[in-house]
Amino acid sequence: MGNLLVSLRIVFLIAMRNLTSHRVKSLIVGSIMAFGTMLMVVGTSLLDSVEESMEKVVSSSLTGQLQIYSTEGRDELSLFGGLTASRPDIGEIEDFSKLKQFVEPVENVEAIVPMGVTIATGAGGNDIDSTLADLRRAVEANNSAEIKKLEGQIVQLASLLEDEYEYRAKIAADTEKIEQDLEILQRVQEASFWEDFDMYANKRLMYLDTKLAPLAADGKLFFLRLLGTDPQLFKKSFDRFEIDKGQMIPPGKRGVLLSRRAHERFLKHRVARQLDRVKREIEVEGRSLEDDELLQGRVRRLSRQYRRVLFQLDVAETEKLDKMLRDYLSEDVPEDDLAKLVEKFLLVDSNNFQERYDYFYKNIAPMIELYRVNVGETVTIQAFTRRGYLKAMNVKIWGTFQFKGIEDSDLAGVVNLTDMVTFRELYGKMTDAQQAELEELREEVGAEVVTRDEAEDALFGGDAELMEEGQPVELAEGFDEFEDVDVLERDERLARAGELTYEQEEIDSGLALNAAVILKDRERIEETRRAIEAVIAREGLKLRVVDWQEAAGIVGQLITVIRLVLYAAIFIIFLVALVIINNSMVMATMERVSEIGTMRAIGAPRAFVLVLFMLETLALGLIAGTLGGLTGALMVEAAGFYGIPAYNEIVRFIFAGPYLYPHVTWGNVLLAAVVIFVVSVIATLYPAIVATRIQPVVAMRGRE
Amino acid sequence: MATLKMILLIAMRNLVQARVRTLFLGTALTLVTMLLVILMGLSQGISDNIVRSATTLSTGHVNVAGFFKATSTDSAPLITDASKLKKIVRENTEGLDYVVDRNRGWARIISPTGALASLILGVDIEEEARLVDVLQLAPQSDYKEGGSQKILGDASKLGEPNTVVLFATQAERLEVDVGDKLTLRSQTRDGRANTVDVTIVAVARDIGILSNFSMFVPKQVVLDLYQLKPDTSGAIQIYLDDIDRSREVMEHLRLVLEKEGYELMEYQPAPFFAKFGTTSGEDWIGQKIDLTVWSDEVEFLMWVLTALDTVSYALIAILIAIIAVGVMNTMWISVRKRTGEIGTLRAMGMTKSRVFLLFISEAFLLGLFASLLGATLATIIALSINAAEITIPVDAVRAILLSDKLVLAIGPQQFLIAIGMLTSFTVVSAMWPSIRAARMQPVEAIQQTE
Repeated sequence: MGNLLVSLRIVFLIAMRNLTSHRVKSLIVGSIMAFGTMLMVVGTSLLDSVEESMEKVVSSSLTGQLQIYSTEGRDELSLFGGLTASRPDIGEIEDFSKLKQFVEPVENVEAIVPMGVTIATGAGGNDIDSTLADLRRAVEANNSAEIKKLEGQIVQLASLLEDEYEYRAKIAADTEKIEQDLEILQRVQEASFWEDFDMYANKRLMYLDTKLAPLAADGKLFFLRLLGTDPQLFKKSFDRFEIDKGQMIPPGKRGVLLSRRAHERFLKHRVARQLDRVKREIEVEGRSLEDDELLQGRVRRLSRQYRRVLFQLDVAETEKLDKMLRDYLSEDVPEDDLAKLVEKFLLVDSNNFQERYDYFYKNIAPMIELYRVNVGETVTIQAFTRRGYLKAMNVKIWGTFQFKGIEDSDLAGVVNLTDMVTFRELYGKMTDAQQAELEELREEVGAEVVTRDEAEDALFGGDAELMEEGQPVELAEGFDEFEDVDVLERDERLARAGELTYEQEEIDSGLALNAAVILKDRERIEETRRAIEAVIAREGLKLRVVDWQEAAGIVGQLITVIRLVLYAAIFIIFLVALVIINNSMVMATMERVSEIGTMRAIGAPRAFVLVLFMLETLALGLIAGTLGGLTGALMVEAAGFYGIPAYNEIVRFIFAGPYLYPHVTWGNVLLAAVVIFVVSVIATLYPAIVATRIQPVVAMRGRE
Repeated sequence: MATLKMILLIAMRNLVQARVRTLFLGTALTLVTMLLVILMGLSQGISDNIVRSATTLSTGHVNVAGFFKATSTDSAPLITDASKLKKIVRENTEGLDYVVDRNRGWARIISPTGALASLILGVDIEEEARLVDVLQLAPQSDYKEGGSQKILGDASKLGEPNTVVLFATQAERLEVDVGDKLTLRSQTRDGRANTVDVTIVAVARDIGILSNFSMFVPKQVVLDLYQLKPDTSGAIQIYLDDIDRSREVMEHLRLVLEKEGYELMEYQPAPFFAKFGTTSGEDWIGQKIDLTVWSDEVEFLMWVLTALDTVSYALIAILIAIIAVGVMNTMWISVRKRTGEIGTLRAMGMTKSRVFLLFISEAFLLGLFASLLGATLATIIALSINAAEITIPVDAVRAILLSDKLVLAIGPQQFLIAIGMLTSFTVVSAMWPSIRAARMQPVEAIQQTE
């Protein structure tokens, strides 16, 4: 025993001496090892951080840790979108309460949240609508001065429209229809239309509502990806959820919460949105207006959007803004109209961007409609039910929400929330009472049986999100609940939309498309998944359970792909490094032939030589590994401190936000240590064996 | 010349003598070359896929398209008087292969059992003989469970009115076959829903994910669907003899069209559907022409190539650095070991530059042979992968590679680049040890061996 210790000591001393005496070799092999370790620590840490941030975003905004859905559908669940341009058919969970009853008692399950996604389109109302609403009110109030004023506005609008329709005739094949439209527009401009307006006010209003208003459809439609759920339970279960503007949907009340992301990105005034984008590109992506041509192009295009500002100003505001901008752009103000002034104002450069950005929000934004839908408003949305009707509903927008800590993620804002009862109506699952009411209404208005294409549309359609914003989409055709209902009554119903209520029971007992399972211990995903699967199998439910990554669809797979690529790269790097290290060691061994021969000659056994070599490499591996690992860890921590900016949209998407804050875990370091250990041992094996084969006699021969 | 031959021979001999180290370094070099060639092949494969699917489905090498605004808030991807514009383009394009024009639409496609959304491309099959060649028709089994291996249908029947050619994935989704009817549904410019019924005349093989969103119909179908006048089109697609001249031709056509009095949109490297938002907010009415090159129209796919190339180059750079260190170390040890030999050679009158050349040749030969072997092996692997027609199982990878099959495109270019790169890096790494060898004084060198 004592002998072994002594010889170990000797081996150790010799190994250390060798390392220092063969400096070049040690340096080269060591630096390769250190570099490899550093790379591993950095690579795996970054990837883990990406995965973690993606998991955070995906699971804490939508999927939970597990998702349950039907086995009957044709497609797999992909809550963040898939590869085809059609709405996936994921089947239905017919009775959510049954599922809840079985899954809730499973160990480690904190909550199970019902869900269902549908696409709805909404109209933010257009200029003519608000003018007509004013006119209606003026008629009600018998305010003839106001009526006269509004008459002027409507005639003006009709004359603008007439010009547009004449242009339209240049590309349209159906000139007959255009001529009819032009007739309507001319009729509205005729003095005779207004002369006896008082007498036929209701009839004329109806004419304007049904004939003129549709001609002014100006593409103000927007799409909402609506997630039907139990809002209170959702709020409780997804603990990052918080209200941004407005308020939470009160318990038992119906309505919609918009995601802040959707509100900012799709419902905001285009000019404001573009300004936000330029700001983000400068601040986050580190671009500069001074030399970045793409960014300059964006600003030039932005400046040509001045009409979007002008459109929304009334006469007084136009004057006010004109004066304000004249003062603001004090130097070389041309004698131009407001359009030119706004254009000039929006043509920002690197010096004045921040100032004009602030000026815009402070002075111009209050005059324009900054969002198409405002918090507190009631809007009409519509969706194709699975039976093929176009279902229109009034919903109250209670507020906007976001998720704490991941406010900036593009992924976290993909859905807007509504209650399950509203969702079911839009999706086409109605209570018996509603069913009866619908039958009645249908008879009244004589709605036709749905045609094939509409039915299929509703069943499989819903790809509306693929369309560019502003594209026209079919409005209220088929069956509209509010069609032919008195206009004034419609206003009343709009006002009442926020007052509709339901019982908690209604949410639970009924249809859902999928369900999110929130776990108490969020690490034990696999185990809980198996437990739930066992329960489902026992009860004979036709459902399947997937984890957050699968539920996310292609987004979840992306992480796996990146991980595979990284591991493949590390494997290849170590393979090549192995060969190179091996070579250096063999070369070094050759140089030490006589030394080793001498050792063997004075009685050192082969094992001694082998241990000597191993020890040498391990010591080197230890030092190099520590240095490399430390450097890597420091680099990651530094990056974690400052944050790695996402320099383009794709990286931003992968980072699940504008910055990635990576950090090192013991797992990363341990993995790197194990790998470097294995690589060291393998790299030494061959040279060590070569060395053990050296015969003592070689040493006697001396130098050749 | 004779000396060079002699030097190469000596270098060769040295390599053979130092078998172990030649083997190790050679293996490393071979591995890295293989990797480089395969990565380049992958990148080229993806790039070929993009070019092929893009130029078949959504763009010419150069596009003359545009927007028509009936109102200042409106925006339609249309060109009026297409034939006149086409004539100008045809007469003013150098190195022109052929020109076609296509109508573009976005419609919901409805079958008795399914529905999906897709771009519909209105073509005049008479002038699109190439399209019929490029579109490979799919055997029935590709889209129908238990279908036969037979190819049904004929793409040239697109000449008949109200017909459609779609892709296998779409046919599978819609559960339809050649001869079945589909309903296309969209909306006219003034906002009314409109439908056209069409008959499937052929089902083509998928061309990457772009083909999930595209199908071909006769021009008149798009005109009917949108209630457009004849001679209204979507885009004039110009195909050149040499795709690399696209940008130059676009610049030239911009000047020509400007001179002809057309109003042009500012150049924006983005696909047409990304421009609706901008154009609808701009304050003009009527027609403006927009020119793009093929890569602009598939700009949203290009990031895949950029990402892959970045990863490849980073990986190869790291590997080459490791190898360079290895080569340097090995050569250095080799120089030290052969000090006596160098001394003798120098004493015999060999010049410094010859000694330098001797060592460099060793590295050169090593690099050349190893990379040649690596490139050859990689080509064999690539050919077998292509022949095996491996279907990619993961959606995300399919999306990234823009193809259902794994395809590595290795041409002479990739082959030569890899060999050239690896050989020169080996030579460069051997520079320093070789210079040290050349600088040795004969006397010292001989002395040192004592």
